Amino acid sequence: MPVIDAHLHVFAKASSEFPRETADWLPAEREEPVEKLLSVMESHGVQHAVLVQIGGTAFEHHAYLRHCLKSYPDRFRGIGLVAPDSRTPEADMDRLAEGGGIIGFRLFELGGHRDPFQPADVRAFKTYRIWKHAAEKDYVLWLYPRASESHQPPYLLEAFPQVRVVFNHLGVCPGKGKFELDEKGRPRIETPQYNPAFHTTYRLARYENVTVHLSGQYAFSREPYPYRNLAGWHRSLLRNYGSARLLWATDFPWILEDPGYGHLTEIVRELLPDLTDHEREDIMGRTAQKFLRFGPGRT
Amino acid sequence: MVQRPTEIQQKQWLEEGYLVIEDAIAGEDLRRLQRAFDTWAEKCKADWLESVEAGQASPTFYDIPNVLERDEVFIDLVDHSSFYGLLAEFMVNDMIFIGPQARTVPAWPVSYSGWHQDVPFSNPLHIKVQVYVNDVDRDGAFAFIPGSHRRGTGPYPAVQRLQSMPGHRVLPGRAGTAILFNTYGYHTAMDNPRGQPRKSIILIYEKRTPGRLDPKAFAAIAHRCRTPERRRLFGLEDPTCP
Repeated sequence: MPVIDAHLHVFAKASSEFPRETADWLPAEREEPVEKLLSVMESHGVQHAVLVQIGGTAFEHHAYLRHCLKSYPDRFRGIGLVAPDSRTPEADMDRLAEGGGIIGFRLFELGGHRDPFQPADVRAFKTYRIWKHAAEKDYVLWLYPRASESHQPPYLLEAFPQVRVVFNHLGVCPGKGKFELDEKGRPRIETPQYNPAFHTTYRLARYENVTVHLSGQYAFSREPYPYRNLAGWHRSLLRNYGSARLLWATDFPWILEDPGYGHLTEIVRELLPDLTDHEREDIMGRTAQKFLRFGPGRT
Repeated sequence: MVQRPTEIQQKQWLEEGYLVIEDAIAGEDLRRLQRAFDTWAEKCKADWLESVEAGQASPTFYDIPNVLERDEVFIDLVDHSSFYGLLAEFMVNDMIFIGPQARTVPAWPVSYSGWHQDVPFSNPLHIKVQVYVNDVDRDGAFAFIPGSHRRGTGPYPAVQRLQSMPGHRVLPGRAGTAILFNTYGYHTAMDNPRGQPRKSIILIYEKRTPGRLDPKAFAAIAHRCRTPERRRLFGLEDPTCP
């Protein structure tokens, strides 16, 4: 059974060949090339990965991602970014997906009413056309909604039950003003131990095409690896979704220095020690292989 | 007048783990409770929405914070004569009040909660009283698995759809209905995809054990707790408390 890292980022230095947006946490001169990723994957027996776009929603911002997917078509699947306020989301999505490497799109915003007591009309959601087009074209949606919109996904899931959805980073929905950079320059998201997502994303397991990836622990935990204070979140996700709906991911490159890629390959064993071999294989690769349609690949 | 359980109620409590008391709160008492609930829910809503946006609270249910401090009607509910005698009997006259949840649950395609027990069997007896503040039909109603409060029953499957749980009972009711349940038992709120928001007050009690209740937990309402019984219920008998 292949091991598949279901969420990570590679990027080149900002250049005319590979233009991208920059930020404090993504400076122009930083690069995390795909060859570096392949090296650590090789060292730790990881066969495939999902490369998630970083550095902008424009077509040209995806140049490095598209380059990597074209260079290593058997190793990777890609997740692009589409701007929720695009006037032509359907064309944007199709243009990026052309050639087959990009299989889906990441959304940070859904665009419905923020007051949970207001009636929800999905046709009025800002991302309605994106969802509709994903349903028509079988694109995967990669969701990392903000806390203020964390009640909105099930309305869209009811409208588009055929859309495959992957909730990012343990299903957490980050709060406004809770994002900062840690001393290593990587994301830190302040999240209560009693995670409000227990009553939102954790409740969506009844929708058969919803999965969750187990990653980003470093950003939520106040403890060092293996982040044992998050074991309860993992158990709860396992109880609700089952191993066949969970995907392991590292969030490379943010974990390279601390705790290191190798440690991340052991985190499922650390935080869910009672899994059967079959269940662990599900999370470490089988779920991603089936859900994201990786080929047999190398073993 | 304080109610004591009838023989039928005793039997149902022991065998099934819950009791429904219709019209436990009625007439002007109910209207006063509803007015206070709606007033404070409206006043506190903006703060709740801010907490949701900050990722500190869930958008799928909303509790009025510090509700006992808002209006005496909420304190009066804690030892209300329509169910307090039953609680006292089940707790052998020795209980503490843990806290209230004045909770509004908006309509949502999925329930905010799955089937669950609140405490393990190793915990002292733990009882909740859920008082419906508005009329609640099957959508959004409290539901319980009769008998699941007893050791050795189950196992209960991890169903994806709440209504698939074998043997469960949904408990709709008019405003003012009180549901007492043993929280060792499996319970939930049913899905309420399109209905009215469910308003209820959930009161939490536990068999008294030393050190369980912070003697200052209810210090803010001590001046409203004038009888020895009520002070003891709220853990205010400690002479160091105001």
